[in-house]
Amino acid sequence: MTSFKLNGARVETAADPEKPLLWVLREDFALTGTKFGCGVGSCGACTVHLDGDPVRACSLPLSAVDGAEVTTIEGLAAAAADPVLAAWTELDVPQCGYCQCGQVMSAAALIRDVPDPQDADIDDYMSGNLCRCGTYNRIRAATKRAAELNRT
Amino acid sequence: MTVVSSRRAFLQGAAASLVVPLVMPAAARAATPAGVAENAFLRLDADGAVTCILPTCEMGQGTHTGQAMILAEELGADWRSIRVEMPKRPSDPYRLPFGQMRSVGSYGIRFFHDPMRQAAARMRTMLVEAAAERLGADPAELEARDGAVTRRGDGRSLSFGDLAAAASALPVPAEAALRPESERTLTGTNVPRLDTPAKARGEAVYGIDVAVPDMVYGAVRLAPVFGAEVERIDPASVEAMPGVLKVVEVPRGAVVVADSWWRAKRAADALDIAFTRTAHDALDQEALEALIAEGLDREDVPNTLTRGDAVAALAGSDRVIEADYAAPMLAHACLEPINCTASSTDEGTELWTGTQGHDWIRMNLESELGIPADKLTINTAFLGGGFGRKTWHHEAVQAILASRALGGRPVKVIWSREDDMGFGFYRQIMKARFRGAVDAEGRITAMSVRVAGPQMGAFMVRENNMDPFSLLGLVDAPYAIPNYAVDHAVTPVPIPLSPWRAIATSFTGYWMESFIDELADAAGMDPVAFRLANLPPESRAHVVLTRAAEMANWSSPAPDGVHRGASVVGSYGSFVAQVAEIEMENGRVRVPKVYAAIDCGRAIHPGQVETQVQGGVIDALGPTLRAKITLEQGAAVQSNFTDYELVRMDEAPEVEVAIVETGAPLGGVGEPGVPPLAGAVCNAVFAATGRRIRSLPLADHGLA
Repeated sequence: MTSFKLNGARVETAADPEKPLLWVLREDFALTGTKFGCGVGSCGACTVHLDGDPVRACSLPLSAVDGAEVTTIEGLAAAAADPVLAAWTELDVPQCGYCQCGQVMSAAALIRDVPDPQDADIDDYMSGNLCRCGTYNRIRAATKRAAELNRT
Repeated sequence: MTVVSSRRAFLQGAAASLVVPLVMPAAARAATPAGVAENAFLRLDADGAVTCILPTCEMGQGTHTGQAMILAEELGADWRSIRVEMPKRPSDPYRLPFGQMRSVGSYGIRFFHDPMRQAAARMRTMLVEAAAERLGADPAELEARDGAVTRRGDGRSLSFGDLAAAASALPVPAEAALRPESERTLTGTNVPRLDTPAKARGEAVYGIDVAVPDMVYGAVRLAPVFGAEVERIDPASVEAMPGVLKVVEVPRGAVVVADSWWRAKRAADALDIAFTRTAHDALDQEALEALIAEGLDREDVPNTLTRGDAVAALAGSDRVIEADYAAPMLAHACLEPINCTASSTDEGTELWTGTQGHDWIRMNLESELGIPADKLTINTAFLGGGFGRKTWHHEAVQAILASRALGGRPVKVIWSREDDMGFGFYRQIMKARFRGAVDAEGRITAMSVRVAGPQMGAFMVRENNMDPFSLLGLVDAPYAIPNYAVDHAVTPVPIPLSPWRAIATSFTGYWMESFIDELADAAGMDPVAFRLANLPPESRAHVVLTRAAEMANWSSPAPDGVHRGASVVGSYGSFVAQVAEIEMENGRVRVPKVYAAIDCGRAIHPGQVETQVQGGVIDALGPTLRAKITLEQGAAVQSNFTDYELVRMDEAPEVEVAIVETGAPLGGVGEPGVPPLAGAVCNAVFAATGRRIRSLPLADHGLA
């Protein structure tokens, strides 16, 4: 059995410890906000927080989260008035939207670590999240807006 | 489109919803199950909910919001009451001019705009009439807005929901007056997208997210070489693996079904399976290029476009500029990989999928599996990208065969990124030979274009070898060229191809705008001035190019280290001009900024026009810089984002968009941002380095 904290709640699962966290979340916990895009950690659509830090769930076996704290987009969305979600909605960032949960998770970590992110910080934190629809202009603006909301 | 006249409106279920059908065959007059509206764009329920039943899938282009805006505005609905659905099966009102319900061609707004306004106007007319009866008023005293019919003067008002039952007993008007321009206060504004909150919060359901009771999972194992089939397969090699339920042979391979996708994938990878040989097992990129290049010199190629006499005019020119151009295969690489969920028995087939190709699926299930249209239901999910790739049926066939092998149990088939990228259905590889001449005044006197490569749209060719999928962007180029010839030396390739965003213009736009630049250089003229001199004055192309040049301050020298290139391309009824600013960094091209001006007729949602053009630019930039599909031993070389590299945040240009309204009819928006980009960037590369780039990607030239 693997036990960990998922979006603030203690959970445990008998899923194979080698099963990638991505599929554990999507199938065993029915949390489909975390997406499958490439399976090799290249696109970032599967980004979740592990003990607060963004990781690619497709490349993490379940065993790696034993005793740790995992936050998914659903956990972030459940928090009241999350500034990243507020900015994303205000600026209508998503087009197809498939990458956006991963973008949001990366942006959330960025604005927590860097209260006033500059373009280079955004490049740094967000270049692991591919957007096939090319919404980068709005992602950049929304990240700065989220940081602004977070500071007030 | 048939318009219903003097027929009773369709009463739906016990709750007296109002549906204004657009086509009403006799069979449809019987009650249909509640919640399934056929042949209509709108359904009004007694509780006031207004459901827009939309013909176009939502794959990021914002069409669900745009179409809902058109309907809601004309109806006078309260925007907060708007819901969106898609029909469960394709039928006439939802079909494009060529007879398919298909989310392609940047048609979503420009084709459905007028029919949707008409449908909403008819429903509005019926609601007003019902209110007039109830209130004992003259319809002329009443107005429909914010979800109610209100009498001017005393403000007495009845909600749409209250009126639904009475209105549905009225005859449907044959035609209805549309709102005047002054009442069109929703379209033209940046209404927040309907799907944004769900997409940001992880609640939006894509095909890959669908969950139905008792569902199991399928992973595939497919022949890497195009056209190969299964030679032998040994299900026993994996049947004992944990969670595995069944191995099902399908065209080109097998689906392994298990109780989780990861288990299915492990078993699919371990499956003992062999594929047949093909005639092109050894085909590699060099041989493929040579195959197509032969067409450049071929004689006896039918003339597609002949204006004046290009051959004679070129022969009589002092100086002929000649250049060979090329474009490689491209993958669509939708971020959501190909998937389909199916539950199928002889009694019926239900699909859950993000698809652009509703009728294509219907037709192919009928011909390949004998599934009749009236036994097929398609539940359309959000698409995590489409770009033309999700117009096919293969994954539906796979899911159906897997489900049938399990007695109808729902099976969700998901392709891995490698499966998706290796399957084919690429943007086609093409080459071209351009020849042109200019006079002393800088006017183009003659041009000829020989296109070489596959004829992807052969099924559409009517006469003169004119394939829109190969030649648009050339045959309809906006320049005034008095002697102009275009022809196409067709060479089939053993690789399945598929429309990619902007189809022909995705490569012809690059070619034409690069060659025009070569002619400008030969004429010793500024590239923008040359274009403007050769475009009909007051043409839409002239207008958008002038605007883009203004945005970029083209008439002033570029800042130190910045080099600029321009382009203008018409596609899908719209015109887009772009100016790309590049910088050279250690001999490699960086594109920090692109200016774009678009004339798409009236912008229904200006914010969406902006974001679609920005997206089109970035979509085109990946293949301009780096991305391509090449062939080795009959199969694709590239398999994932690690070797098919797309643009990321740190390389994404700032894209500034201006919408220019010239009074032209509605044009498409989803695709037109793509064609001008590559030419603009490569023209900037010429300005920076003196090197003319005649094939993509730039990485092939050491420039990215």
